[in-house]
Amino acid sequence: MLIMTNLEKTFRTDLVETHALRDFNLEVKEGDFVSVTGPSGSGKTTFLNIAGLLESYTGGTYMLDDYNVATLNDKQRSRLRNEKIGFIFQSFNLIPDLNLFDNVDVPLRYRGLGSAERKKRITESLEKVGLGNRMKHLPSQLSGGQQQRVAIARALAGEPRFLLADEPTGNLDSQMAKSVMTLLKEINLQGTTIIMVTHDPELAMQTSRNVFVKDGKICDAADVHTMPLASNQ
Amino acid sequence: MSRWELGPILRAMTRNKVGAILIALQIAVTMTIIVNAAYIIVERHTMMQRDSGLDEQNSFYLTTTGFGADFEPKRVITEDLDLIRRTPGVVDAIQINAIPISGGGWSMSLTTETGDDADDVNTANYMTDEHGSNALDFNIIAGSDFVASDVRWRERNQTDWPDKALVTKALAESLFPESPWQESVGKTVYIAEDEPVIITGIIDKLQAPWIGWSNLEHAMITPEYLVSESTRYFIRTEPGQRDRLMAELESTLADKYPNRIIRDVTTLTDTRERSYRQHSAMITILTTVMFLLTLVTAVGIVGLTSFNVNRRKKQIGTRRALGATQGAIIRYFMLENLLISAGGLLLGVVLTIALNMALIEWFSITALDWFYIPIGVVVLWVVGQLAVLGPALRASRVPPAIATRTV
Repeated sequence: MLIMTNLEKTFRTDLVETHALRDFNLEVKEGDFVSVTGPSGSGKTTFLNIAGLLESYTGGTYMLDDYNVATLNDKQRSRLRNEKIGFIFQSFNLIPDLNLFDNVDVPLRYRGLGSAERKKRITESLEKVGLGNRMKHLPSQLSGGQQQRVAIARALAGEPRFLLADEPTGNLDSQMAKSVMTLLKEINLQGTTIIMVTHDPELAMQTSRNVFVKDGKICDAADVHTMPLASNQ
Repeated sequence: MSRWELGPILRAMTRNKVGAILIALQIAVTMTIIVNAAYIIVERHTMMQRDSGLDEQNSFYLTTTGFGADFEPKRVITEDLDLIRRTPGVVDAIQINAIPISGGGWSMSLTTETGDDADDVNTANYMTDEHGSNALDFNIIAGSDFVASDVRWRERNQTDWPDKALVTKALAESLFPESPWQESVGKTVYIAEDEPVIITGIIDKLQAPWIGWSNLEHAMITPEYLVSESTRYFIRTEPGQRDRLMAELESTLADKYPNRIIRDVTTLTDTRERSYRQHSAMITILTTVMFLLTLVTAVGIVGLTSFNVNRRKKQIGTRRALGATQGAIIRYFMLENLLISAGGLLLGVVLTIALNMALIEWFSITALDWFYIPIGVVVLWVVGQLAVLGPALRASRVPPAIATRTV
């Protein structure tokens, strides 16, 4: 489903060459709930950006659902992101001027779905995250946890095969983090593959598999109970 | 159509409206001014293109003023005209009391009946001889031209009029609106309420001296020479000979009678330029105002959109992450501008009509032709879309990876 082979990502300036990822090999199967941990600057976000087709890579191969990502142009990548991938961001990334309904509607419009179909999906996904009665509210009228639920609803409405979560609980208190994590586990149980970048070993322990990244390489893909604890800087 | 995001853009704009309202107002004011200015420019330009009836490119005139006790105007005028007409390159020459479109001349009132309660028609009056049609380049389209025996000498202080006259077709139509203009030939009109003049011919075109006059096309020609020390000659030349003859004739006339001053040797093209200078200046000023206003509006749109692009960088990245193509991002900003422009242009239409009504009231200009309004709308709409294109293209290049940045 997601196969990265000898993936490399190098950032170059006139003076410096930085290897963000090197010899990065990972396979994620359908239904997995993979957590990606590692110290700050280890390459976790770069990995997530490449996995989510937000950024290009400089070497190796990346196959996503039989698509060789390197051969896709910008428009094809956009379409693939829209149809197969759902994103959950650390700072929610809701559009402040749009109410919850319109926020969840954003990716559905890019897919070109009809009005009735969009409305059905938006209503269902907001109800799923417990915010069905707040569709006309603006993000600023919600708590952090509720905003992250809206972001999850936005990702779910597109019925993605992958959910990529970047520190989804990073800006939440422990209680809210717990409820968001519970929601993600429910989503995973319903068949959606989730890759979650986190600093929090507690969260990582709740996933089915952990990948520890250090210096741009996967150090250990062992069972979460034997993994080294991630730095929490 | 779902991709167009019309509803969300409108709803987002209502929550962030100050910038949009300011730009919409700017567009409205710009439209109001440029549409009315464009109308005035076209009106003035059309006015400047009116045909005087003269062969302007090949005509000039000069004034000669004789002095001394032995100066004999009749003899000098007769000999001058004979000399000028015989000069190679001259088509014809006349003595004339006023120059068409020059700004100064004679006018009078004509009536078709005697008595002080008869309706009168105003006209310019030119006095010249049977060479007038050739020198002034008009055609007799009904009746007949003057012959040499028709022409008389008008002495100083003489107030009576010759018994025949040529009139322009426009004047004939105004004098006798009930009948075809051709039938005006042979009819009598009255000067000073009771002095009869018979119309012996109709000419196609000759404008009055005053370009702003509502009766510009009204002209009457009477067959007369003016007896005066100061006289004006109108000379029509063959193509390409005008400038040479201006210098040559000035010198020849001065040599022939040294006791005189020759001045104001002027071409008709210069006269037209001078007469219409105010209109020309108005066109330049209004065009500059239109250009600057449009530029300021375009810069305002560029500024607002650039500000929005910078403010929404993360939002744009998020949209790209959620599947927006570069085209969708460009479309978003273009559509947003289109909606702002639509509001501004709608208000602009109302203000344009209001300003035009005020101008009609204050300056008696004619009402704006309806098609100026849709043209103004389209022009400003295109300007708005072009102005927003640069910032929109910049927005489309915001990388989707910016969505995952936390700072």
